[in-house]
Amino acid sequence: MRGTHNVIVQNKRIRYDFDIRRNLTIIQGDSATGKTTLIDMIQEYYENGSMSGIELRSDKECVILSGRKWENDLKVIQDSIVFIDEGNEFVFTDEFAAFIKNTDNYYVIVTREGIPSLPYNIEEIYGIRDSGKYGVLKQVYNEFFHIYQGNRPDQNKFDMIITEDSNSGYQFFKATADERNIICESAGGKSNIFSVAAKAVAAHPKEMILVIADGAAFGAEMEKITRLIADHGCLVLYVPESFEWLILKSGIVEDKEITNILEAPGEYIESQKYFSWERFFTSLLVSKTEKIYLKYMKKVLNPSYLNNKVKSKIFAVLPVDF
Amino acid sequence: MLSIYYGRMPEAIFNTAVYFKNVYEDSWITDPFSKEMILDVDKSTVLGNGVIDSPVLGKIAPVSLSGGVKTLMLINNEPQKIFNASTCGNNCAKWILKIGEMQDVTINLRHLMDFGQETFDIHILNTGQIVHNMKELVPIAGVFV
Repeated sequence: MRGTHNVIVQNKRIRYDFDIRRNLTIIQGDSATGKTTLIDMIQEYYENGSMSGIELRSDKECVILSGRKWENDLKVIQDSIVFIDEGNEFVFTDEFAAFIKNTDNYYVIVTREGIPSLPYNIEEIYGIRDSGKYGVLKQVYNEFFHIYQGNRPDQNKFDMIITEDSNSGYQFFKATADERNIICESAGGKSNIFSVAAKAVAAHPKEMILVIADGAAFGAEMEKITRLIADHGCLVLYVPESFEWLILKSGIVEDKEITNILEAPGEYIESQKYFSWERFFTSLLVSKTEKIYLKYMKKVLNPSYLNNKVKSKIFAVLPVDF
Repeated sequence: MLSIYYGRMPEAIFNTAVYFKNVYEDSWITDPFSKEMILDVDKSTVLGNGVIDSPVLGKIAPVSLSGGVKTLMLINNEPQKIFNASTCGNNCAKWILKIGEMQDVTINLRHLMDFGQETFDIHILNTGQIVHNMKELVPIAGVFV
């Protein structure tokens, strides 16, 4: 499945109207905002159709997944939007992540607990905002420039950079940090970012620390890190879609198709093929640079990316300077 | 005192809505403390045994209350058991603190609930530490969720 799908569910008392934009969507938020009511209405419509007294409008079938036989049920669900209420512990298992990876459904999961095995984007975490009988989904994290910060001191220079892994992105930022005598560390995986950042702010409370992570799959970590940021003005988080997205966005690879894709990625990214958008952008960058001097490799940074002209174009996309 | 175990806890009751449906008693609903919680969290008024007036859903049964307020009643009425309180939103946090002031309770949290700006006493069972505000709590609890 690809693209954005609008869902309207209503009965005489309440109406929900929202868009589902990617393969993985998380709904969380305060109690009594109508999350379970939404799931119940979709289930009742699925079982009884219009005879339920519920009206459901969507270009894709909406189904509920629950219980111990989830795997059997999922085998026959295709090209659908699958809603899963909280209380279904299977969503936290590796088996579930492995199973849905190759399906062509979109999944909407109600949970406050992060699901590290699922690569959901920070911008696809929603709360239900209701005004009386109307419920809409509102993004929890939606900073326009993908930068998250608390009461940041009036200074722009950073003393330390923490990146998600040790791949090309880390190598790119490390090379620049070294030139400027800034410490640059790899957290060794997204799940370690919180503990590395927490230790860093405790050890260096007056130093400015910039964390750079791939927003495409950072959803499960976002609550923790933003709470840390709220208490530590010296900590800043930058979460572009991915390092590869940053390169594509910089325009160093001139290509009309790239421009078109970046304007509406969801229309091009087939969920069954790309579990995470980060994988799509990596694949796109690799294919577009295959025969040019900027040939991109995920594990080892091509030194051409450290050329001053190239580097400055990539840095121009960043909303913060080192 | 309120004790919290952060992260996965197999002995905690995970699906609190199912458990509530099968064990709740009418007296839990009509209890003045429960009435306050239901009014505050669900914006609903308890009319009598088994009937609650919801501004959105109309007259509803206790099982149709929010997952958060049902878990709050479980924590308050069965303090010997441990419940997954990640079924509660941040708007339940002050009530969890109040219950913890009235009696010793242990809850399981799988996310970083926001206990607000005021000070509190929370015993983090994972490390044995007692924390008094969110700034102390987050770096310790965040490692386990």
